[in-house]
Amino acid sequence: MAHPRLTPRVQRRAALAASGWVALAATAFPGGSPLRWIPVLAFVALAPGLALLLPQPLGLRPGARLEALALAAPVSLSVATLVATTLFLTKAFSLTFFLVVLALFVSVASTLPGVPLPAATRGAVERDGARSPRFEMPLFRRRGTGGGG
Amino acid sequence: MQRQGPAPVTGSGVPPQSPATDREAEEAGTADNRPEEREAERREAPTGEAPTGEAAAGESVGPEAGKSASAIPEAGKPASAIPEFRKPSPAISEAGKPAPTTAPAEAPAPAGPEAGTPAPVGSASRPVRRGRLTAALRSPDALNLVPLLVAAALWLWALPGIDFRDIEEFGLLDRFPLTFYAALTVLTCGFVLTLRRAGTAPLWPATYCAAMLVALKAPPAILYDTVRYAWASKHDAIISRLLHEGTVHPGRELSGGMGAYDQWPGFFSLDAALVRAFGVDAAASFINWAPVALGLLTVPVLILVYRTFSDDWRLVWTGVWIFQLANWVGQDYLSPQGFSYLLYLTVFAVVVRHFVLPGSAGTLRDRGTLDPAAAAVPPPTTTRQRAVAVLILLPVVATINASHQLTPVMLCATLFALCLTRRYRNIGLLVTSGAVMLVWNLTMGRELFLDTLGTLREKAGDLLGNSRPGFAGDPTGPGPELVGSANVLMVLALGGLAVAAVLLRRKLVRSALPLVLAAAAPLPMFAVNDYGGEMIFRVYLFGLPGSAFFAAAALVPAAGAVSRGAVIARRATAVALPVTLVAMLAGFLPSYYGKEGMHYAPPGETALTRRAFDRAPEGALILAATGAFPDAYYRYDHYERWFFTEQEVDENLRMLKDPAGYLAGGIPADRPAYVILTRTQGEAVIGEGYLPEGGFDSLRGALKRSPLFQVVEENTYGVVLRYRPTTGG
Repeated sequence: MAHPRLTPRVQRRAALAASGWVALAATAFPGGSPLRWIPVLAFVALAPGLALLLPQPLGLRPGARLEALALAAPVSLSVATLVATTLFLTKAFSLTFFLVVLALFVSVASTLPGVPLPAATRGAVERDGARSPRFEMPLFRRRGTGGGG
Repeated sequence: MQRQGPAPVTGSGVPPQSPATDREAEEAGTADNRPEEREAERREAPTGEAPTGEAAAGESVGPEAGKSASAIPEAGKPASAIPEFRKPSPAISEAGKPAPTTAPAEAPAPAGPEAGTPAPVGSASRPVRRGRLTAALRSPDALNLVPLLVAAALWLWALPGIDFRDIEEFGLLDRFPLTFYAALTVLTCGFVLTLRRAGTAPLWPATYCAAMLVALKAPPAILYDTVRYAWASKHDAIISRLLHEGTVHPGRELSGGMGAYDQWPGFFSLDAALVRAFGVDAAASFINWAPVALGLLTVPVLILVYRTFSDDWRLVWTGVWIFQLANWVGQDYLSPQGFSYLLYLTVFAVVVRHFVLPGSAGTLRDRGTLDPAAAAVPPPTTTRQRAVAVLILLPVVATINASHQLTPVMLCATLFALCLTRRYRNIGLLVTSGAVMLVWNLTMGRELFLDTLGTLREKAGDLLGNSRPGFAGDPTGPGPELVGSANVLMVLALGGLAVAAVLLRRKLVRSALPLVLAAAAPLPMFAVNDYGGEMIFRVYLFGLPGSAFFAAAALVPAAGAVSRGAVIARRATAVALPVTLVAMLAGFLPSYYGKEGMHYAPPGETALTRRAFDRAPEGALILAATGAFPDAYYRYDHYERWFFTEQEVDENLRMLKDPAGYLAGGIPADRPAYVILTRTQGEAVIGEGYLPEGGFDSLRGALKRSPLFQVVEENTYGVVLRYRPTTGG
């Protein structure tokens, strides 16, 4: 990552970082137009979560892709909810402000390393000796070995 | 020859992915401590083939891998149905662990070339050039695709024929064309077929689940020209008010408890922001799509949860399918609880996957003691990792607290229940969630929180009272009675299956104990509060993920066991599974669409209601039989409302003797008052059991005849009356 080459991962991050500003630009389209609501919805519902979860230094291990995708929407919507709620509580809500805050959040988050959820990074460690010795033995089952069943 | 074996496939895998990459990533981490994960990954490829292979492969983990090769009964069978993403041999050997010994046995060479493409399948023995079309039609993908296309065609054909404008006592049940039912049945059968390759081609069951969700819940979104469901309409009104005011007033009291929505404004703020961002007038533009959207977002999280406890994709998908069918309680509309439920499941998923305490797994990583379908406990995490996970969850927990009153309580109850296990004793997360809840309740939600505390004294301990659905009598009329019976049967079927699995599959219960605890955690809520007659539905909803999982476990027996009993069980469930899924579908439809008469109001009716509100002066009292009609809360901060049948049935019977006098007695002096009675209300009072059959018509007739009330407007959709205190006395 030392060289700023346009690897697919860098491209993904760049796309994420840009998505908020694209969504903001899309609000120039007339209200209710699919050209407006589709990019805005996609950004609000996915981008913040993906920006937090995706940029893993070593890439996501495959098992974690489902997790990143599944969690992206709830996390994104949570971030969006907290931003919107704060803006309404402080009487500062405007569409532009809302999207700019989210777009900034996503832009910054996508340049940082992703949140190291253990499943994504395989970082979890079973402490030595943590396992009880009495469970060491039967790591295979008794049944069916003879007949292949 | 394509695999037609008895055996639905299991496998642990994640959707198409390269084991090689996985292993590289693992190497980067601490590979040696994760035998169960490698095992899970390895299982996915071979088990696509043989019924018992799954379990056998499961045994092959780690140091004992050498044993497992012989434990694969059908390893010699051609691996024809195959794993598009299988690149087993080299990848496995990369791991440098003893495990690789299983790979060659499980993944015969012929499988190799197929990797990556869903090519028509043909074993080496079969003449390959027999005609591409025949081969393609016989390929597993074609077998999966055909029912989907047939169902889609039937569904699209049925859609325009759904006569929602003329709903009578059975809701949409007798308004759905036969082709609609046929489409759903074909989808169900197609789904069962996809389970045969669930481990190797998980996209098929995923597609069917999404298709079923859309088929079940999209028709109102596509067809209706008004907001479906009175409560959704109420939320639309709240969002509109928020946009109009630009802020909330948590301390202000509004009639009908509407002030609570200002105290938990999170979800409405998000919707208000979306309304502005989409550039539409109101949430009504997209509100009917909420059940589909929430369902599509919930399913992946649910899969995460189920995958944590089972490596058997058949079980996972069947659980998801049952969850969809059993989720008839109607909390999936655009609502804070629907949204918070998604977030609740998210927290639960992260907890069960990332909050395992070191040294707590014990035998639960031991294949010999696990149920063949069970997944080993996820890898443990360090304190630092769990702290990071708490930070990630914090916005989610905060959003739950900002959006809904009850869900945070359910969340804390679930986290507390999980703390009862050694595996998930995460006091820090429980304390954090409790602290966030307390902070919100003592600041933004202070008014309602203190009120609720006040009523706890009356309601605490009243188990029967708190578990009563609603506060009216039994539904009357054949339609609502059918719905009531369907509800009961659904609960009994789901509960019966889940209990059977809990009793019969003890090993699975041990490893999936968190799901059992999560399902049981909401039960004590009955001892605390009735939540406006809603508690029973909410407890059901929060218990549903666990119940659906175990119900699926009853229908999808372990593939590995070879005892005679196990073989008989597998044969029996081969029939029982589709039959049960169709039966649950038959239970879902009345439960979800049986009262549609009170959920759909034609535009003429909503227009009548809005005109009535607009006609009334600011501060007027608006009377209606029930609040369960669209636009009941239109501009709710400008009026006071009295839904006069929402009380005990005895009181309603008394009211019916002299409706005009009864209502006049409740209207404060010098208060302008209007009565709105619509067709939807007529459906609702019967459906909810507020009034006996015919009660609504007699009420309406009596008010029209009374000199105390003057008809202001009347049409086929309803009647609006003005209170005339001076003329009647």
